[in-house]
Amino acid sequence: MAAVCLPTNGLVIFAKRGCETCVMVEPVFGQLAQSRMQTVVLSQDDPTFPSLVDALDDTTLEQSFRFDVEALPTVIRLENGKEIARTFGWNRAEWERVTGLQGLGLGLPNMRPGCGSMTREPGVWEELVARYGDSGLASRRVAIGEWDDEIEACFDRGWSDGLPVVPPTDARIMRMLEGTIRKPQDVIGLVPPNLVPITVEKVAINAVLAGCKPEYMPVILAALEAALEPEATMHGVLCSTCFSGPIIVVNGPITREIGMNSGINCLGQGNRANATIGRALQLIIRNVGGGRPGEIDRAVLGGPGKYTFCFAEDETDPTWVPLSVARGIAPGKNAVTLFQGDGIQGFIDQRSRTPEQLTKSLALSLLAVGNWKLCEFTNAMLVLVPEHYAIYRDAGWNRDRITRELHAAMVRPGKNVIQGALGIAEGMDVTRKDETVNKFWPEGLLIVQAGGKAGLFSAICAGWTGGRFRHESQTVTKEIKL
Amino acid sequence: MSSFVMRDPTAETASDLRSRASPLTSFAGKTIALMDIGKMRGEEFIDRLEQLCHRRGVATRRYKKPTNTRVAPREMIKDITKNCQAVIIALSDCGSCTSCSTHDLNDLDKKGLPGVSVLTEEFRQAFNSQTSAIGLEAASVYVPHPMQNRTTTELHAFAEQSVDAILLAICSVSPPNP
Repeated sequence: MAAVCLPTNGLVIFAKRGCETCVMVEPVFGQLAQSRMQTVVLSQDDPTFPSLVDALDDTTLEQSFRFDVEALPTVIRLENGKEIARTFGWNRAEWERVTGLQGLGLGLPNMRPGCGSMTREPGVWEELVARYGDSGLASRRVAIGEWDDEIEACFDRGWSDGLPVVPPTDARIMRMLEGTIRKPQDVIGLVPPNLVPITVEKVAINAVLAGCKPEYMPVILAALEAALEPEATMHGVLCSTCFSGPIIVVNGPITREIGMNSGINCLGQGNRANATIGRALQLIIRNVGGGRPGEIDRAVLGGPGKYTFCFAEDETDPTWVPLSVARGIAPGKNAVTLFQGDGIQGFIDQRSRTPEQLTKSLALSLLAVGNWKLCEFTNAMLVLVPEHYAIYRDAGWNRDRITRELHAAMVRPGKNVIQGALGIAEGMDVTRKDETVNKFWPEGLLIVQAGGKAGLFSAICAGWTGGRFRHESQTVTKEIKL
Repeated sequence: MSSFVMRDPTAETASDLRSRASPLTSFAGKTIALMDIGKMRGEEFIDRLEQLCHRRGVATRRYKKPTNTRVAPREMIKDITKNCQAVIIALSDCGSCTSCSTHDLNDLDKKGLPGVSVLTEEFRQAFNSQTSAIGLEAASVYVPHPMQNRTTTELHAFAEQSVDAILLAICSVSPPNP
C-alpha cells in the first residue's frame, strides 16, 4: 500500500464498519477529528467508514499488523513517533485518559466491548507476518514469476510424488509449525538415503506440500522419528528393488482428535489425515533424503503404498489390545508403528464359524506372503476386520492367543519348503530339510484391527524382504509427543 | 517479476535450479532442431547458422513459430521431440520473446532434449530471471544488441562468431571446424 502518513504526535485509531462498537462510537471519531489532537483513523474493511473523518485505507491490514492491533476500536496515542498509551473497545474513561480530552461520547453507554481485529482472524496473522514481518524461516526462498503457475512450478522443481502438491508459502509453513511445540530449527535426525539432517521446519514444509493440517504435525514427527531409527532400515526400504514402503499405524486418542479413519475403507482413499500423513513422510524421504524413483529408489514395480499408507487402528472394542499396547506403549497413549510393507493381499473367508477354522484359513493365505516356500524371510501385517475378529472374540481368543495359534498353524516340515521341493527352485536352504520351519519370526506377525463393521474381508500386507535379517530390520513403534 | 515466494522443501544440497538435460556426446546420427522464434530478422541469422552447421556435418531441421509472443504450438514441440535430439532456439531480442522462448527451451528440456537459447546481450538479465523463475539451469549464447538495424552481412557475422559456442552448448564434443 502507499505510505501512510501517521502523526508524530497524536492519535491513531483502528476501526471497521463490521464492528458494532466502532459504528456506535462513530460520533466520537468526529469529536476527536475536531479536537486539537491530530487524529488518523484507519479502516480495516471500508475506507468510507467512519464517515465523519477521512479514514485511511488499511484493508491490506499492514498498519493494523505493525501496531499489533488485537481488538477494535483501538486508540493509540503517539508522542515523538512512539506509542505512549493504548486502549481498545469503548470505555469513556479510558478513551479520555489516552486522548487527554474530556466529554467524549456523551450520551453513549460508559463502556462496551469491541470486536476482534481482522488481523486475528484465522489464517490471517501468518499471511501478514509473511508479507510485512519476519517469518524466521531459514529454508531457501524460491521465487517464481507472477504469471507462473505455482503448482506447475512445484512439479518442475521435482518436489512432487506425481500428484499436485500444496505450494509451501511462508504463511502455510508458519501455520503448520503451530501444530508442534518443537522449535523450527530443532534437528530430528538424518534422513536416508542421503543422510541429510532434517529440521522441524523442513518437516513442516513437506507437510504443507502433502496437504496436511497443523494438528497432524505430532504424528508426522513421530512417524519420521520411527523411520529414522536404524532398525527401521528406511534406507533399504526406500532403495530396494522390492515393493515396500513405510506403512504407518496410528494408535491413541489423537486418531479421533485429528479425524483419522480406522473404519470403512481405512486402507483406501478419502480421509485427509490418513492420506496426507503417509504422504508427508514419503515426500520428506524424496525431497530431503533424496530418495527419488529411478534414481536411488530402484523398485522394480513399486506399489501404490509408496504414495501413502497410513491408517488408525480401531480401538473401540475393549477386548482388543491395541497394537501400540502390545508393543509396549502405555494404554491411552498416542503412538505410531512403522511397518516396512507392501500393498494388500485380500483375505476372503465368509464360511468359517470357529476360531480354529478361521485360523487354518488365515494361515493358508499368510503362507503365501512373498513366496509360499520362503520362511523367516519377510514379516507380515494382518489387518483383521471386526467381523473376523468377532469369531475369535466370541470364543474368548485374545490378541496373544490369535497370534500364537496362527504361528502354530504355519509350521511346516522343512522338506516341503526347501529349494527344489515340489519342483520349485525357490525355497529355504536345503540344510533345513529335517527341521520344522516357521513361516515368520515370532515377532514378525503383526495384527491390527481395523475396517468397517460389515464384511468378512481382512487384509494381509507382506513385509519387506529385509525382514529376513531378523535383528537388523524391525518394526518400530514410537510414542507421539504432543 | 517474482512475486510468489515458496520455501525449498529439499536438503538444499543442490542448486535450486533443475539440471538441464545432458548435452549430446556426439552429433553423429543426430538431428538438431533450429527453432526460429518468429521474430523479425531472426531468419537471416538462422539461415547462416544452418549453413555453418551443415558445413560441420551437423544435421538440422528447421522450425518457425507463428509468433514470438507465444510459446511454440504443441504440434511443433511434438514434431521436434519425435525428429530431433537437441534444439537451438533463436533469436530473442525482446522481453516477450525471451520469456516465451525460455518456456519452449524448458518444455523441450523436460522431454529430454538439451537446448540452447540465442539472445542479444541486452536480454541476459531477462533470460536469467526467466530461467530462475522456471527453475531450469539453462544454456544461452549471446550476440550483440541491437540486431534489428543490422545488415544481413552483419547478422551472418553474428552467426559465424557464435556457432561454435552454440554447438558446444548442446554437444560436449565440438564438430570439426572446416
